[in-house]
Amino acid sequence: MATDNSLPQNVVRDERRELPEDADEDEVEARVGLRYAASQVMADPTARVGMVFIAVMVAIASFAAIDSYVFNYALAGRFWHSPIQAQPGATGLLPPVGFENGYGQGTWKYPLGTDHRGRGILVRLVYGSRIAMMVGIVSTGIGMSAGTIVGAVAGYYGGWIDDVLMRIVETIYAIPFLILVIAFMTAFGRDLQYAMVGVGLASIPVFARLIRSEVFSVREEEYVEAARAVGMKDRNIILQNVIPNSFGPVVVQATLQVGVNILTVAGLSFLGFGAQPPTASWGQMLAQSRGYMLPDPWFSVWPGLAILFTVIGFNLLGDGLRDALDPRLQNQR
Amino acid sequence: MGQASSAHMRMAKYTIRRLLQALPVFIGITVITFFLINAIPGDPARILLGPGGNAEMVEQVRARYGLDQPLWKRYLNYLAGVLQGDLGTSIHFRGRPVVAKILERLPVTMLMMVSAFAFAISTAIPLGIVAANRRNKPTDHVSRVAALIGVSTPSFWIGLMLIIVFSFHLDVLPASGLILPWAAPSAVEGASTRSDVLLQAAQHLIMPTITLGTLYMAAVMRIERSSMLDVLNQPYIQLARAYGVGERTILRKHAFQNAQLPIITVLGLQLTSAFGGAVLTETVFNINGMGRLIITGINNQDYQLVMGTTLCFGVTFVIGVIITDLLYAYIDPRVSYGEEAV
Repeated sequence: MATDNSLPQNVVRDERRELPEDADEDEVEARVGLRYAASQVMADPTARVGMVFIAVMVAIASFAAIDSYVFNYALAGRFWHSPIQAQPGATGLLPPVGFENGYGQGTWKYPLGTDHRGRGILVRLVYGSRIAMMVGIVSTGIGMSAGTIVGAVAGYYGGWIDDVLMRIVETIYAIPFLILVIAFMTAFGRDLQYAMVGVGLASIPVFARLIRSEVFSVREEEYVEAARAVGMKDRNIILQNVIPNSFGPVVVQATLQVGVNILTVAGLSFLGFGAQPPTASWGQMLAQSRGYMLPDPWFSVWPGLAILFTVIGFNLLGDGLRDALDPRLQNQR
Repeated sequence: MGQASSAHMRMAKYTIRRLLQALPVFIGITVITFFLINAIPGDPARILLGPGGNAEMVEQVRARYGLDQPLWKRYLNYLAGVLQGDLGTSIHFRGRPVVAKILERLPVTMLMMVSAFAFAISTAIPLGIVAANRRNKPTDHVSRVAALIGVSTPSFWIGLMLIIVFSFHLDVLPASGLILPWAAPSAVEGASTRSDVLLQAAQHLIMPTITLGTLYMAAVMRIERSSMLDVLNQPYIQLARAYGVGERTILRKHAFQNAQLPIITVLGLQLTSAFGGAVLTETVFNINGMGRLIITGINNQDYQLVMGTTLCFGVTFVIGVIITDLLYAYIDPRVSYGEEAV
């Protein structure tokens, strides 16, 4: 019955549940389980490396965000140089320090060289990180929340509700991700906020399908039946029991999806959909560098490495989380 | 014998049922693309005529392409056309049938995608098996890091790097375009015989293949490794080991086939993301394929062109998933077609 405490898997998965004031033994155990899960994650070397990568990017992106929103690029201009405007007399397409090309020699003032307008590539990469992190995380948040609701409702009710919702999800899934977002952005606007919403909407299917299959396995659990038996409303059962208990895999998927969405947004910017010049974004820098690949190949190298570094961070953390949270995978490490 | 033919019957029935199930998805695709494209501000007739068009000309063009009718009527007209195999006419390409445009571009994209998937599968499966077999040894670590980098790299950036190295510095591969191996020698610049065409086609295909295929190679490798490890931990493999069956025989005969099941599913589902990847790859290498066709359509509000190409992608995807399911059933006889309920 519902008093059966022997649910080790659910204990591990219960990390989202808030601990109420009048917590009974079950909830205390769930919190212990959360602590256990966290210690598992911290003990995983893959997850730790991933967290370090992400922490570095978050720090850089936060600096860029504060400077651009609060100080209107004054900080960068004061201590370094502006990411959006070239300094007077700056040379374009300079190579990194220690290299030489047809335009001159690399200087420490521009450690990674300059772009076609004479702006420092390093400083533009720093400001581009803001866009990548923001879009990656916000779009995943949109996809995860909407997808979770859709998947949970479909899985819990089943029947025609499930049929209709899943046909819609399949339809979104059958249109290539990138093309769907491009069509969406052409219809509503090419700016960044539409990229976030578009990529978010396009990532609904991933989460909806995942949650739905989890819900199918949770639905018949005794504690859900018990909740139904004592007359709990469907909405509350879904929100308080079904969703929290299928959340482990969703956290893993969300972490990996941030990486996927950063790659997608970089691709969109590369095609001209996304942050508009002079705002720096990595994909847009790669698009600009295409015209100068022969005289200054370095220009094309750096933005790609920045994307790679960031996405690796999220993939490492996602893999680590999966290893730590899913006991079934222990033997595959 | 009788069993075999009834199995074929079941398979055929299953295929038909899956196609019927996909019908709402096809209709959904047309609804979504139609209304998205028509939500784009601006008038396709004006875009077509440019700044020189006067009001009268705009009216003529609108009437000619049915743009003067209400939205729902245009949608129904379009749908009726699709059911008769007519995807409409392209406004941007001056009234050319969309079907003709797709048939012109589809082979290019398909060649690229088939080549990319062949590259991915043929490299990833052996590497994944080796990694699983040498688990936690240097080979495994190296291949895991390589796979991690592979799934984290923007594909189009790989393309740019390849162009810099192999076209600009080493000057061994062409930086743009794609040549179909079955093209007439007279239509290909600098080719006089069939072997010239084949050589050029191969040279043009190498870099787009790697650009598009790396992500799938890395993804398949990761799954192959974990799937092999999973299978190798199964009781029946341990039993085979206990009987003294050699490790090579176990890998080849007992583990390999079962470990391929997850790969098949993943490849089927990766098809749509590969279409997105094709858009980027075609842009990097200036290849005139489906991906750039759809971008042209979107930029010019050529809604029939966009819907035709999107539908084509959707149909390919659904067929891909059905083939996946059938392959799955072929490899794993335990899979039923949902007729005999468990």
